[in-house]
Amino acid sequence: MKKTWLSGLLGACSALALGASLANVPDKEPVRFALLQDFTAVYTFLTNEYNQGQQDYLRLVNARGGLDGHPVEALVRDTANEPQRGIEAYNRARGEGAVLVDFLSTPVSRAAVNRVLEDEVVMITPLHGRGDASHGETFPFVFPMMATYWSQAAILADYIDTELGGLAGKRIALVHIDSPFGREPVPVLETLAERHGFELRAFAYPSPGTEQSATWSDVRRYRPDQVLIWGAGSGQQVSVREAIRNGIRPEHILSVVWLAEADAEHLGKHMTGVKRYEAVAPGRELPVIQAILDEVVAKGEGSGPEENVGSSYYNIGVATMAVAVEAARLALAEYGAPLTGDTLRRGFEQISNFDAEGLMPPLSFSATDHQGGGFGRVSRWDGGAWVPVTEWRSAYQDIVWDEIEKDAAGFRDGR
Amino acid sequence: MFYRQSGIHHTRYAATRKLWPLAADRRLLGGLLALALLAPLLLPELYLNSYLAPWLIWTAAALSLTLLMGIAGQLHFGFAAVMAIGAYTSIHLARAGVPFELALVGAGLAAALIGCVFGAAALRVKGLYLVMATLAMQYLVSWVIINVPAISGGAQATLATPEVRLLFIPLDGDTALYYTALGWTLSCTLLLLNIKRSSVGRALVAVRDKDFAAAVIGVDPLRYKLLAFFTSSFLGGVSGAILAFCYYQAVTPEQFGFNVSIQLVAMVLVGGLGSVIGAYLGAGFILLLPIVLTNLLAWVAGLELFPVSFNLIAHIPLMVYGALIIAVILFEPLGLAKIYDNIRKYFLVWPFRHAQR
Amino acid sequence: MDIAFLIELTINGALTGLMYGLVALGIVLIYKSSGVPNLAQGAMVMIAAYLVWMVAGWLGAPVVVALLVAVLGMFLFGMLTERVLLRRMVGQPIIMVVMLTLGLESLLRGLGPGLLGAAPKSLDLGIDMMPIIVGDVFINREYLIGGAIGALMIGLALFFFRTRLGTKLLAVSDDHVSSWSVGISVERAVAVSWGLAGVAAVAAGVMWGSVQGVDWSLTTLLFPAVAVVILGGLDSIHGVLVAGLVVGILGSVVPGYVDPLVGGGTRDVVTSLIILLTILFRPHGIFGREEIERV
Repeated sequence: MKKTWLSGLLGACSALALGASLANVPDKEPVRFALLQDFTAVYTFLTNEYNQGQQDYLRLVNARGGLDGHPVEALVRDTANEPQRGIEAYNRARGEGAVLVDFLSTPVSRAAVNRVLEDEVVMITPLHGRGDASHGETFPFVFPMMATYWSQAAILADYIDTELGGLAGKRIALVHIDSPFGREPVPVLETLAERHGFELRAFAYPSPGTEQSATWSDVRRYRPDQVLIWGAGSGQQVSVREAIRNGIRPEHILSVVWLAEADAEHLGKHMTGVKRYEAVAPGRELPVIQAILDEVVAKGEGSGPEENVGSSYYNIGVATMAVAVEAARLALAEYGAPLTGDTLRRGFEQISNFDAEGLMPPLSFSATDHQGGGFGRVSRWDGGAWVPVTEWRSAYQDIVWDEIEKDAAGFRDGR
Repeated sequence: MFYRQSGIHHTRYAATRKLWPLAADRRLLGGLLALALLAPLLLPELYLNSYLAPWLIWTAAALSLTLLMGIAGQLHFGFAAVMAIGAYTSIHLARAGVPFELALVGAGLAAALIGCVFGAAALRVKGLYLVMATLAMQYLVSWVIINVPAISGGAQATLATPEVRLLFIPLDGDTALYYTALGWTLSCTLLLLNIKRSSVGRALVAVRDKDFAAAVIGVDPLRYKLLAFFTSSFLGGVSGAILAFCYYQAVTPEQFGFNVSIQLVAMVLVGGLGSVIGAYLGAGFILLLPIVLTNLLAWVAGLELFPVSFNLIAHIPLMVYGALIIAVILFEPLGLAKIYDNIRKYFLVWPFRHAQR
Repeated sequence: MDIAFLIELTINGALTGLMYGLVALGIVLIYKSSGVPNLAQGAMVMIAAYLVWMVAGWLGAPVVVALLVAVLGMFLFGMLTERVLLRRMVGQPIIMVVMLTLGLESLLRGLGPGLLGAAPKSLDLGIDMMPIIVGDVFINREYLIGGAIGALMIGLALFFFRTRLGTKLLAVSDDHVSSWSVGISVERAVAVSWGLAGVAAVAAGVMWGSVQGVDWSLTTLLFPAVAVVILGGLDSIHGVLVAGLVVGILGSVVPGYVDPLVGGGTRDVVTSLIILLTILFRPHGIFGREEIERV
């Protein structure tokens, strides 16, 4: 009795919710993207800005008449980084006709991989999730769509090799959070160490990374020429802080993509010179961001505080939706309405040299490559903004793809 | 009125010892069981695979913990680790080609053996210290799982469950998974209902109420505490395996973290310590409340009655969840089961309230 | 073996240990007076840090004003929590009290980040980031100041128990009923201890907030603090000092040497083992009072 009562109530709620969303149906069936992200737990350091960028871009698309007349609707829910809540939100969104999901949470998207493959729903995993999902044949519906952590490590190593005086004979320290994510770049860097003859040592600090002093005392004694920091959230600025405190010059610190304006603000002048990998250009000068400011934010339609517009994580959010909308556009043009997960996937695979007017490196996807080439660049904090120090580039994709193939093979036999 | 007691005469001991002496209770349960069995036909897919199935599996886990915390009185803040041991053992066994039935037993045994190590602390301390000791063990188990790639599944730290058959039926599709979960939860329920009225159950209760006093009357606390840890961890391990195979279908270390242990304890306490129906209600409350609240708030926010940031909306379920746990503990320490019991007692004599003893 | 490395690990570890002690102090104060294990202390630290950030970082007031506001606010918050929630729990089983504080933790975890924003905030106290260098040993200034404040707060707490009010608190921690019988208001004493725990939370929140930024992850300080409390003894202020140093030093020295061998961050393992071994071999901790149980 209780079970049916509860489900009845739930049913009524969802019927009401559906009714509410159908009330403003325009001429054409909307395209639904589910942004089921972690607003309250581990990923809070970026979710608000990232999601704001995504929603603002979709509002821009709608303000310009939608996708071939189809409005794009964002279904936004909090999953608190908990797989069971993510799965519920995913199943609900799928029931409401979502063709694309973005969990922005590694645990949730890992738990959802098998489901999206079975249900034929596109899952984008930009800068999170499993890197081997770049293997399009094994993961037809999963799109990492930006450089995997392997590619990021490769680009940073290549940058050291070409512009910071070469890798041969150097000592490189990888200081990472003690988690699978933190250990991800290790195999690529080890292969590179063999190839270029440099010395690599990995240092792990305990999660969540708010206290790292013991690790850095050790790093200092290693006397590294360059230090790669590999963490996320508040652990990142603690890493930079400890590095500088231990006499490592800011110019010798290179970070994974998770280092942004907020961390720089926290560190003040000491941050100047620190470099990071970036997948998407930050700033407001870009045409897309200008368009959002003019056509969405200026009209009071923005989905969050205006000061976030143009920040690193905001622009990453915009970029993800720019790619997704482009894929949907191609799919609608090629296969017509209604847009399904399968046609959207084909749309993604047709994207070639798409850079959203300079927002990001030109990305091309194919049925085999769902990473988009593994591009990115290195930028440097100059005291007020992130300034690029290289062109968009990719590096050592042979090594990266060895890893992708290896793990994808593992997935095929059940891992 | 609904629960007519008149005309019920127990003429034999067997009749008084029935689990449900009232006909009305039996009818209610029969109805619920029928609904549970027919659920795959009645419920939309979403409610079957995202609400009912996880609810049942978490109920089984909460029941396992109820055996330990509610009946034997041993506090355990690391039960998610026990479930993790079961889940990982079953997956590794199934991948090695062991039949699923045996893999489940293996999962239970592995969890039970390591669970007894947790129990070793219980032989030394109790109460708050036991809470802290089991908490520390939770961290240790999580650390081992994360740091040993052979357990967690390589660089991606994900292990997908292989395709298996249970009693010759392939375990795929929502319906098969649901019935497996239902079967396991019902088994746990029956076990718990019956353990309470066995001599073992009474010995456990004696240990719970005062272990020294139990020793005085000839119940060996050491033996029964270990027995409680063994049994409960066995059930927890199998529940973990069922959770992995019937719900997640891919396990990652985060699914069995410290916060899950806390949630399990909350299920047992909010439901009502030691109550079987409480485990059902508590699991539903703790598991589904945040989900329902999130959806409800998203709907309210969709109406755009007043401007409010999504950040706040996302955090309200957390606040309400905390506040409701506090409210239940403050106003009904015996939990949701007691609230149910109050309602039942009210209707037992309705409309003749003055007749209530 | 590099002796400077060992010294550096020991000193920085000791200082962080004292900073964990700031969190632990609140738990001990409350447990000492009322026997309540406050697992929401981590969340109280977070709320205190949010409060300081709100006044100093958001409204732009001087840090001193922010500290005063936070001290007052958290003192009242602590007293209010005791009055509204915990007083009704007297006589309930310990597990209920534990769960209540966990419910409170969840409530506060939603409240702070929900109202003030979940993205990490920075709390700048203007401490120079460059370390103090003695030979080849680098000492972290923030930790030095944090450790000093930790030691100071523990010292103040010790001193407090020599004052008139503190003596009453001691009596209350000994026995509620006999305290009543000699005319001590047990309720007031318990409320004051909650208030003081709130003040300790401000000190912890400010120091840790300046080190790592203000967001929900401050609540994770609970775990090392629990290790300190268990090792030192749940009702011992001296214990916080000694155990803080032990937990901090072991949590720094052991990972310093073991991490490179196992390739993982072992500090949580060390912390867990401290809790476990203490409970197995000396459950009431170094200085804690052994409870005698009667049938």
